[in-house]
Parts: sequence; C-alpha cells; structure tokens
Amino acid sequence: MTSISKTATSDKAEQVHRVLLGKKQILVTEDEPLLVQLEQAGIHVEYQCREGYCSSCSIKLLWGNVSYPFEPLAWVQSGYLLACCAIVKSDIEIAFFD
Amino acid sequence: MSYSTFNRKQFDSTKEPMFFGENVNVARYDQQKHPIFEKLIEKQLSFFWRPEEVDLSTDRKDFQRLEAHEQHIFLSNLKYQTLLDSVQGRSPNVALLPIVSLPELETWIETWSFSETIHSRSYTHIIRNIVNDPTKIFDDIVTNEEITKRADSVSIYYDRLIEMVNIYNTMGMGTFDIPGKGSIEISMPKLKKALYLTIASVNVLEAIRFYVSFACSFAFAERTLMEGNAKIIKLIARDEALHLTGTQHMLNLMASGKDDPEMAIIAAECQDEVRQIFIEAAEQEKEWATYLFKDGSMIGLNAQILGQYVEYITNVRMQTVGLDAHFATKHNPIPWINAWLVSDNVQVAPQEAEISSYLVGQTDNSLDDSDFDDFDL
Ligand code: FES
Ligand SMILES: [Fe+2]
Ligand SMILES: [Fe+2]
Repeated sequence: MTSISKTATSDKAEQVHRVLLGKKQILVTEDEPLLVQLEQAGIHVEYQCREGYCSSCSIKLLWGNVSYPFEPLAWVQSGYLLACCAIVKSDIEIAFFD
Repeated sequence: MSYSTFNRKQFDSTKEPMFFGENVNVARYDQQKHPIFEKLIEKQLSFFWRPEEVDLSTDRKDFQRLEAHEQHIFLSNLKYQTLLDSVQGRSPNVALLPIVSLPELETWIETWSFSETIHSRSYTHIIRNIVNDPTKIFDDIVTNEEITKRADSVSIYYDRLIEMVNIYNTMGMGTFDIPGKGSIEISMPKLKKALYLTIASVNVLEAIRFYVSFACSFAFAERTLMEGNAKIIKLIARDEALHLTGTQHMLNLMASGKDDPEMAIIAAECQDEVRQIFIEAAEQEKEWATYLFKDGSMIGLNAQILGQYVEYITNVRMQTVGLDAHFATKHNPIPWINAWLVSDNVQVAPQEAEISSYLVGQTDNSLDDSDFDDFDL
C-alpha cells in the first residue's frame, strides 16, 4: 500500500481510507465528501443537488462508517449513504444496485 | 367528523400523527413533531424565483428552426409538464390540508403547492414566447388523447382520496351508496390506505414522471437549443428535488411506524400495490416516450434511450423508499443529465464540466439520428 504511506507522510493529519466497490478499490481522505473523490477516480455516481436534499446520490453502504458534517435533508435509508455529503470515517464497502 | 378551520380543542400537536389526527389549530412552529418539514419550508423559500427573470428571446428563434418532429417533441413535453404542475399546484392542498394534523406539515404542503404554481406560470411564460397562439397548446392538453391518458393516471389516487375524505367529513364512518359510484366503505384503515397510495403516486409523479420530461428539455439544451427553457427547467428541477424528498420522508415515516403505528401496518400491507404503482408508471412513461418520438428521434435522445432512463430512474426512486429495484437497467443511459440537473450555485468538479463540454462537441460534430438508432447500452 505505497500510496497510503506516501499520502500519510505528505500530511500526517490526513486520514486515508479504502473504499471497496465491486472489484475496485479507491483511496479517499476525510477532507472531502465521498462523491467528489469517486468522481476524481473516474467513477460515475448519480447526483443532482450535491447538498444532501435530493437523495440521487444514495449508495449502498455494505460495511464501515461514514459521518455527515450537517444533517442531510434527504431521507437516508438504513444501509445506505448519501455520497455528496458523506465523509468516509473508516474503510468501507459500497455498492450501486443489487 | 367535519373539518374545522380552527379546532377549539386543547391538545399537544406533537403527539398527533401526520394525518387523520386532530385538525390543526394554532399555526405554531416553536415545537415540532417532525422538524424535517420546517427545514424543507426554509429551503423551499430560499429557492424562490420568478419565471420572468429568465430571458427566452433566443428560444423563439431556436423553436422556429426546429424540424417538425422536434417541435412535436418539445411541445408535447411542455404540455405534459403543464399538466403535471396543474395537478400539483392544487392537489396537495385539496387532498391533504383537510386531513393534516401537524402545523409544520400543513405549512410544508402549502409551501410545496405554492412553488408548483410558479412552475405553472413559467410554462405560460415559455409558451407565450415561442408561439403566437398559446391557446392552441393549452386547449390540446384537455383534448389530446395521449395527454388525457396521462391525466387519468396522475389524478386517480388524489381523486379517490378526496372523495373518501369528503364522505368521511359529511357522513362519518360506514358504508354508503353514492349515486353513480356504488357503495363505498369509509373506515380509518381504508382512509389511511387511500392516503398512503396517494403519497406513493405523488412520489412517482415528481420523482419519475417529471425527470423523464426534464431529460427531454435538457436534450435540446445539450445541442445548445432552447437554452432559456432549460434554465427554467433547471429551477423547476431544483424545486422538484425538494418535493420528492418531502414525499419520501412522508412515506418512510409512515412505513416506519414512528409517526402512526397503524399506518405502518397499512404500509406493509400495500407494499405490493406501491411496487405496482411504480412499475405501471414506468410502463406508461415508456409508452409516452414512444409517442414523443413517433415521427423521428432527435440527436442524443430516442424512445429507446428515454425508455432506459425511465427504468433507471424508477430503480433509483424505488430504492429510496425501501423497495427493491425492479428493472434490469443499472446504469444511467444519459449521464449528461446530471450536469443539467445540478443547481448553478453548486460547483461541479472541473473534470465533470470538461467531460460534458467534450460530449456536446462530439454530439454536434459527428453524430446524427441514425447513430443513436442502434445505440446499445
Ligand atoms: S446529490 Fe442530492 S442528496 Fe446527494
Ligand atoms: Fe412542479
Ligand atoms: Fe413538485
């Protein structure tokens, strides 16, 4: 996991977590919401408002923790996350549809 | 039990269910059972806009240059949107205000419905700008068979609920012979079921049917046509995102039993019926897509692609209200729609913007209708 240690040395405060999506693995930080970081990794995620009120970016959270800097207006189903405003707090696994 | 505009009873409204409890009395928001509705009100008010602020002068020229089958697509889509907002500008008020029991929810319903009237006024603004005789277009909405079919399916649940609540308010509970309608049983479970199915069908209207129409509006704008119209639709889409969140909250609160335990039982009992409402609406929207493109497709969109989008967005919306996705389509066939749906005040990641402008160039330069005919996704 060279990329983890590389990032960790460049900024000690920065927490890096693994996001598993099918066979893919994406490294994310706690600096920005998950959606932006998935997009930077070239993964298309559905979105509309990008501020937590439309639920378009709802993704299955199979395991792991995320937190929200503010409570989203959209309903978050249990077992799902809202990618546009969720901050990843541990390694997680996500899925789009069954 | 008849409706009172100011219930004289003294009671704690935070102990009432969302619907079919006490009639509301004091419009107070210092204490709330479900603060989400107050937050939706604030957000909706912050979105306030006026159709006249959007300049449509180039749309008129664009419209005149469209081919006949493209004008058919544009106008039919606009008529459908006009129908949907005509229904939404009144029905939440007429159907839900007589039975609501929480002041914050009552005010959300009024705020929601009011914003729909802005949408309706914006269609008049658009139609006035692109044609000389708006009457022809408006008149067609009540006579065109394809549109009236849509009207039946979007109003049926509202109308049934309104009828049952009318009987309940005048006659109370029981089984009644209504001239021309036969016998109708009014009981609290029957009323609550009618309500639950109505909210589900409203969610379908706002979260699926409207998005299908947005796709058509934005397909023109992808070709840098009818861009004033797209600006208005963007503002409408921002409001609709909030509305669908409102109905999703109602449905999920009902199903969870946190609001009214009896409603949770009813929600569980009609899960199959709700699934069917979503699936049938998706089929109707696909039929509508066939009608839109009957005389020819347009660059970037045809009946097949729009049909796939219907399936995709239906899956997304079903999942949000706790239903399993029904259709096989797991990918958005028109990913460019998101860049149009996003509000202007939100920054989209720069590589996203680049991708969409690249796609616009590609569409204009190298593709024609036939390229999309056998588009396989
Ligand atoms: S994009 Fe709207 S809730 Fe995430
Ligand atoms: Fe609307
Ligand atoms: Fe709406």
